[in-house]
Amino acid sequence: MNFYSPTTRNRVSLAAFPALFLVFVINTNAFAQQRVSRHYPAGKNVRIELKNLSGTITVETWARDEIRITATMEAPVVHFNPRQTDTGLVVDIVADNRDRREVGDVNFKIQVPPRSSVDLETRSGQISVSNIQGDLVRAHVWTSGDITLSGVNAARVFASNTTGNIFFDGEFASGGTYEFKSGQGTITLRLPANCGFRLVATAPAEKISMGPFLNGGLKTLGQGRRITGDVGDGRASVTVTNYQGNINFLRR
Amino acid sequence: MNCEDYQDLLSDFIDGLLTPEDHNSIAGHLSVCAVCTDANNDLGAIVGFCLEHRDEYEAVPNERALWLRISNMIEAELSGSAPSAIPENAGWWFRLMNQSWQLSFPQLAAATAAIIIVVTMFTVVSLRSFNFTGGGVSDVSTAGLALPSTGLSVKERFRQQQQVIDYWNERVELNKARWNPQMRETFDKNMGVIDAAVNDSMRQLTQNPHDEVSEEILNAALNDKVELLKEFAAL
Repeated sequence: MNFYSPTTRNRVSLAAFPALFLVFVINTNAFAQQRVSRHYPAGKNVRIELKNLSGTITVETWARDEIRITATMEAPVVHFNPRQTDTGLVVDIVADNRDRREVGDVNFKIQVPPRSSVDLETRSGQISVSNIQGDLVRAHVWTSGDITLSGVNAARVFASNTTGNIFFDGEFASGGTYEFKSGQGTITLRLPANCGFRLVATAPAEKISMGPFLNGGLKTLGQGRRITGDVGDGRASVTVTNYQGNINFLRR
Repeated sequence: MNCEDYQDLLSDFIDGLLTPEDHNSIAGHLSVCAVCTDANNDLGAIVGFCLEHRDEYEAVPNERALWLRISNMIEAELSGSAPSAIPENAGWWFRLMNQSWQLSFPQLAAATAAIIIVVTMFTVVSLRSFNFTGGGVSDVSTAGLALPSTGLSVKERFRQQQQVIDYWNERVELNKARWNPQMRETFDKNMGVIDAAVNDSMRQLTQNPHDEVSEEILNAALNDKVELLKEFAAL
């Protein structure tokens, strides 16, 4: 029994062709990608060092004393050899694939205990770190890529890229060191109202917005290209540099 | 009594001031002790000489003043003789090491405090000279050509840094042909951002050569440029 006229059948065939093509493309990509996941036992204070070529890096915390690292690789033959050290884990995609021409994106998702330190670096791609409360958070993108650090409460934080935004939402520890540097993107620092820090912020004229942290103790230098001074007790050291973009301070 | 006790009584023995018992006791001891007999003879000769020449000397007008002068002369001779232990042609190290150091507690405490302050200041200055380039938390690697030191004029420093940049740029250009178009585009775009910062700072410095903010941005941008070139030269 045929419910369709010949004309209708032709229309159905024509409509099904793009859908089949789409399914084929998706399946091809799915086969091309390779996903590797590994677990490592860890103490409460571990250190993760990751050096990537390109791709996203996402670091999250969980309530387990172990590290899980998941790498999704565009090229199926990328060498991926995490190395355990006395203090944690080192992943160096650059060194592992030094003789290879095309490596493609490698996207990482890393889960660590909250008290971990993370040292992340990539030539391009986004870096996202959330809820880390260890000693160090370092995120460096050599070229283009946004950096998002949320819920971070570390003693030392370094975030830098050439093109892309930097967003920090966290707290400054008394006596801590915090440095943010971008070539072109917007640097946004979202802080609690009671935080205290000694600031050196440098950006093109009139591109620094202190928002609710503006106070009479801050000095402007170089025709408005630099703001220095203390906010609150001034116990943390904060350096923010933006060659072309904006610097914004927001209150939580 | 022993010899020491007998000799303490010799002066009174010679002057005839002892009791008969003590006098007999010393006389008996002197007959058997040669050492005490010699001491008695010497002291007797001195006392006898003094008695013979009693009226030949004038009395000292102020004995205490005389003693102080003598005491000062002795001290002066002692302090004057100390440096003579170091030869005339001795080197500074020999002189330093043979120098006698006598410090009071406050002096010692002040010297210690001064050393602590100097070391602390040196440490602080060293830490402040650390330049955050974004290339790493630890010290920046300077393999290949090193960045020129500070202390030069802005133009001279720029010229020297430009030489370093040219060196790494050549190495990048050699490798660029192997890169895919996407990487080439990303590199060029980001290098353009840094170049814009360098040019902007140079323009500001041309208008105001003493603009410290522009000078710092120029240095930071040039450092970033070198680090980016070095990173991509390895590809």
